[in-house]
This record gives sequence, C-alpha cells and structure tokens, in this order.
Amino acid sequence: MRSSTIVVLDNGASTIKAGIINNERDEDIQDKVRIIPNAVVRSKGDKSTYIGHEMERCRDYSALHYRLPFEKGYLIDWDAQKAVWDGLFSSEVLGISAAESSLLITEPYFNLPNIQEVYDQFVFEEYEFQSYYRCTPASVIPFGQLFSPGAAPPAECTLVVDSGFSFTHVVPIIDRQIQWYAVKRLDVGGKLLTNQLKEVASYRQWNMMDETYIMNHAKESCCYVSTNFLEDLEICRSNPKRNNITQEYVLPNFSISRNGRIRQPEDELTPTDQVLVMENERFSIPELLFRPDDIGLEQSGLSATIAASIMLLPSDLQGMFWANIGLIGGNTKFKGFRQRLFSELRSLAPSEFEVNILECDSPLTEAFHSGCAFVKDTNFSDLVVTRAEYQESGANASRRKFRDWQISEDNSKESEKGKAKQGLDDDDMGQLSRKPSRTKVRTGNTSTRRR
Amino acid sequence: MPPKKAREQASRQVNSAKQVLAPEVIAKRTRRHLDELERSNYAEPSISLLGEEEDDGAGGKYAKGRARQTISDKRHFGDPSAKKKKTSMNVRTAILYRKNLATLIEESGIAHLPPNVPTYLTAAAPPPVIPPRLLCSVCGYKGSYRCKKCSMPYCDLNCENVHNETRCERRVI
Repeated sequence: MRSSTIVVLDNGASTIKAGIINNERDEDIQDKVRIIPNAVVRSKGDKSTYIGHEMERCRDYSALHYRLPFEKGYLIDWDAQKAVWDGLFSSEVLGISAAESSLLITEPYFNLPNIQEVYDQFVFEEYEFQSYYRCTPASVIPFGQLFSPGAAPPAECTLVVDSGFSFTHVVPIIDRQIQWYAVKRLDVGGKLLTNQLKEVASYRQWNMMDETYIMNHAKESCCYVSTNFLEDLEICRSNPKRNNITQEYVLPNFSISRNGRIRQPEDELTPTDQVLVMENERFSIPELLFRPDDIGLEQSGLSATIAASIMLLPSDLQGMFWANIGLIGGNTKFKGFRQRLFSELRSLAPSEFEVNILECDSPLTEAFHSGCAFVKDTNFSDLVVTRAEYQESGANASRRKFRDWQISEDNSKESEKGKAKQGLDDDDMGQLSRKPSRTKVRTGNTSTRRR
Repeated sequence: MPPKKAREQASRQVNSAKQVLAPEVIAKRTRRHLDELERSNYAEPSISLLGEEEDDGAGGKYAKGRARQTISDKRHFGDPSAKKKKTSMNVRTAILYRKNLATLIEESGIAHLPPNVPTYLTAAAPPPVIPPRLLCSVCGYKGSYRCKKCSMPYCDLNCENVHNETRCERRVI
C-alpha cells in the first residue's frame, strides 16, 4: 500500500509551508513550496474574512483582525486550523485527495500529549489520510542542507536554533536524535517583537496598535540586531537627525501604496505621506532575543541559553556542538543576527573550542525542504502510522511510533514490554536507535567535570 | 473622581517614603505586560483586569444557549456542492470546545511527570545571570532613574515629564 503523493506540511504558528512530493516520478520532485498565512483574518477595510491562502486577495491591510490557531506556539483553535487546512488541501492550493496521500506534518517542540491526540484525530478521522508522520521541525533538519552545504555528510552533533513566531528553541541533535533533556526554550518570538514594536511606536509616534500587519512589515524591513547595543544607543542619542541608523518608514496609505517602504535619500514625499521614524526601535526590538530582561522576562538571552543547553550535553561532545550551530526560523533573518550571536557565543564558549554558526538561504522554508529530503532519504513508508494502525490502536499507534520527547520517558517501559511481547517494530527502531550508550557516557563524564 | 484622587494621593505619600512600589506589584505588572505582548490582536494596553480574553477569537463570543458557530464548516473550497462529510465525535469536540493553553497543560498532566522527564514546563530558558539594565521607558535610551510612583525607568528630566504626563501609573493596579 504505497501512496503516490506525500504532502509535506510545516505547520507554523504564523505561516504554513506546504508542498507535494510525488513518489512515482522520483526524479523531478516538486519541492515547490507554498507559503500561506496560518490565520483567519478579518479586514475592517473591505469587510470580509480571509482564511489562510485567501489572504492574497486582501487589498486593504489596515486594521486587520487576526484569529490564529496557535496560542503561545501550541495548536489550540482547531476550528480556525481546520478552516485554513480545508483551503490548503482544496484545489485552490494543493489540490490533493487526502485519502490517497500520505502526510508529513510538523508540530511544536514538547507538544502536549492531549494536543497530539487531536492531531491524530484530524488527520485520520477528518481528512482520512492514508498514513502520516508527525515530528518537530528540528528533527528533520539533519536531512537538509543546513549542516551539509554541498554534499559533505552532516556532522554527528548539531545544534539547531529555531527562532520562530511564538518562541525560540535551542535543539541539540546527536545522530539525528533530538536530545530532549537539553532542549531549551526562550519565550521570545516574532509575535512578541511585533507587539513590542507596535507598543513602542504607538507611544512615541503614531497610534499603530491596530496595525499588526503594517508593523510586522516595518519590523521585517527596518529592524536589525546591533553588535554593539550601547554604542548604537549613543549614536541615536547624540545626533538624532543625522546618523546612519535612523530610517524613515513611509506608511502605506492603501490607495497608491499597498506596502510601506523605507524612505531613500532621493525619495520625495507627497504632502499626504505619513512617516514613522525608526531610531533606536530599529535595534532595540530584536535586542529582546538577546536581552529578554529588557522587558522584564526572567529568562537568559539566546546566547546564554545556547550555552546552558550545551552544558547539559555529554562533555566529550560539547566541542562539536559549539562548532555546528545552525539557524532556522524567521527571526534569524534580522540583519546582524549571526554576527551578534557569534560574538556573544565566542566569549561564552571555552577558548579551546571553535564556534561556528551556519546559515541557510531561506530560514523560513529550511524545515520544509529538509522535510522533503527526509521523505526521500528514509524509508518513509516504514516510519508513518497508517490509517489501519490508527483504527486498530488509536492514539497509541502514533505514541509508539513517533520519536518525540515522551520517548525518552517511555523508552525503558516500552522496550521491556516490546521484548516481552514480540519485539514490536524493532526494525524501524533499531535503525533510528535511541543510543543508550551515549547516556552512559554522559552520566560518567558530567560528574568529573562538575566542580 | 475625587475619592480616587484622594486614594492616589495617599498612596503617593506612602510610596515616596519607600521610593518604589512593592516588588510583587511590579512583578504583576510585568507579567501582565508580557501576556499582552503574546496576544494576537494586542490593541490597547489593558487597564482593567477584565476583557483580556475577548478579542482573541470566537471562543467566548457566543451567548449562552445560542448554537455555537464554527467558521470551518461553512466553506466548501472548489466544489460548493461537495457532500457534507460526517464529522467524527472527536473532531467535532475539538472544533466546538476550544480550551486555552493553560487548561490544556493542566489536563495533559505533564506537571506530574517525574522531574527527570523533560517537558514544556522544564524547558524554559534559565533565569538570567547578568543583572537587568535600565532602559528609558519613554525614549529607549539608557535610563538612570526610576519613577518614584510606578518605578518605570527614565533617562532625563525631559523624559520624566513625558512619563508623568502620559504613562505614569497606567499599569499599576
């Protein structure tokens, strides 16, 4: 029972990255990615509602009201999510027949077991996919290009920094296995940054509190990560009008200009143009990723979080993690992100270790493309849960098969049970083994290292 | 509102003696601000404790007794005459009864797992080791002073005046 199409769905809290792989024609695999907003948007201007992909028809981006299926990074509004997925699977976007397709879908890190059950229910009971595989974005990254530019085999130990819409995760991976005990989460994501910019701009200049869309665009076009925050602050302070930081963001008026733009020196303004001056806002907004305590969030900045995560890993392997840090997610697109992260990590890392940060061309879709590579490189059809399996054992089927954070806990119990019965799916699991030997190494070494 | 004014006056005197607000009040204010920054349609910094949930979708919109409306089954993409598929009980429940994340975390029982099992709750980044820095709440420059009433930082006289006129005490309950 081999399905001919595989749908790859990177189900982000802000945008869905989706595409189709056709199994039959192995050569020309269509990794063509569609990016659609994962939201139900109500526009006050033209008084209509746009669901997911319909957003491209929206002409008036002022005062959009968003209904997002995700809250703090977790899928809670299934009504909205179903509406978006219905549109996505329909002939207007992917045009698939679920019953004849297989699905790879991403879920957030540490997804809750009760939410995971609803994923299963939707995939099998509502859409009736033939089979499906659910995993976190970072778990497929080792199959992509990020850590192996060209054809070099990827390093054994890698650390993925996934900075998305809802939060930022530091995810260490050994041998394609996520080391869940060392995964760390920083509660700063693109949503928080946009809201912060909205608030700051509204307090200082124009009331932009209703203009999430515009401010998000302003954030994406103007903001950068400063490599020397205090110095940049001084520059803005000492010469507010003439410095190389201040930019003017020309707000859209929705009759002539649909998108805002950064004003260029030769750019003449019409009398009706409204301008938002971006001074220290340009770098103090993304600064929150590195200094969450600036808004009172009691968490370490990204660099210290990475260091904390690496400290939890086997000490003989830590050097490899410092040298293989990869960036994915929309926030890593801020100019200067890598440089800042590098300079901070360099001072945090032990001097004998090399620090190396890898970037990819499109951090937004990296997980999607890696997901496609994952489907091609593995015996995907062995890893999935099929509808028949689901009908037989319900949510247990996916609990048994998908390797996520709960596996480390169930590991001992499950394997005992498995051996006692008849070594259930030992073949799949053997190939992607959970490296019991490593844990031994770890406990042995941490004790010597600790003072 | 004279009574309120009087109350403010009183508390001001108390505060000026202590210089700053009680730390737990500031902590509460900060927490509320952080929650606001997580909202999908963060429109107005809230002053009251009520009305925070309202804007985030359809969850609480429908009056009691009225049939719940969903947005997802009104649409038939591509084929408007598509036959109505029977929705399973589980899916129906998930669509109709939305729960917020806090409830779901509670129901998932991850809080009761043994401490060596990593979960959403244990994965948060550790608290910062470096002391926080003061940034002016008005202009964003390095702040050197804190407002005596509400303890928000500011950088100079100018910003202090702006702060006093516009924002002071807004977030203090």
